[in-house]
Amino acid sequence: MTTSDFLVFYACVLLVILACRCIPLLALKGRELSPRVSDALGLIPPAAFAALVANDLFDPSKAFSWEPLVAAVAVLLVARRTGSLIWCALTGMGSYALLTLVL
Amino acid sequence: MSVRTGVAPVLSAALPVMLGYVTIGIPCGVMEAEVGLSPLMAFLLSASFYSGAGQFMMSSLALVGTPVLSMVASVSLVSTRQLLYSAALSPYLAGASRPLAALFAATVTDESFGVNLERFSADDSWNATKATAVNLMSMFSWALANALGAIVGPALAIPTAIMSFAMTSIFICLLACREWARRTVVCAVASALGVIVLKALGLGSIAVLLGALVGVVAGILLGPRSREGAGHDHE
Repeated sequence: MTTSDFLVFYACVLLVILACRCIPLLALKGRELSPRVSDALGLIPPAAFAALVANDLFDPSKAFSWEPLVAAVAVLLVARRTGSLIWCALTGMGSYALLTLVL
Repeated sequence: MSVRTGVAPVLSAALPVMLGYVTIGIPCGVMEAEVGLSPLMAFLLSASFYSGAGQFMMSSLALVGTPVLSMVASVSLVSTRQLLYSAALSPYLAGASRPLAALFAATVTDESFGVNLERFSADDSWNATKATAVNLMSMFSWALANALGAIVGPALAIPTAIMSFAMTSIFICLLACREWARRTVVCAVASALGVIVLKALGLGSIAVLLGALVGVVAGILLGPRSREGAGHDHE
């Protein structure tokens, strides 16, 4: 990758990232939203987290692997019991490492 | 901002994200060094892009010689999910000044979105300043970890899949700790199925955005929240 290629890439992507991050918030901030819009916005978090989890756990282009699913179940149990992000992250890495490296 | 009412809650919210970013930021920096970025460039790139998925994708595409316009399109598409986060957070920033709101918005990531949303809905004292502090602390840990990875370079053999599972675990926790009303479950399942189908169709770069939209539409079609009783979702 040449320096000029990198600079073009950097400028274009930074512009898109900042636009995606800032425009909706600044445009909607302080406005009275209709109940329908508020209701739809309230559905974004569970939808987004489920999408991110599925994106991380499932890759149809690769052979099925049960290790991440088992590790995810372990994290799920810890999450429901403790609600702690740190314990979940440690459990996830530990169980996934155990399943892939040791077993 | 006193320690008890200001700094401590911010640290408590930011720490899990910061630790996760250190574990995944170092291998990201290692890949950036392979592309030719210096530690300073890795730091600046990470502090401005502040996108794990985007930066990993940048390095992997550059290493196989992808044309620059294809790289721009791919990384931009991956970043479009930020549109949803930005919209979802807007009600909580109603009272913030425009510069602070812009700084907050510019530093939102998947993880800080979840952490701040949880705090905004559960803690009446949580405000734009604290939320922005969480974002900035997380950002610096990410940028420093990337710079460290670029310094260490390819000499460090890190199992990236294991490290990145810290982030997956954070998403699972943020999802699992919500109240599981029928509508939330349908929304989450539809979203996950949407992502799997889209990835199977080769649309991986926009799978998260479109999958999440599928989930939101499924939730809307199931009917308004009031039918199940208000309050089970905090937002």
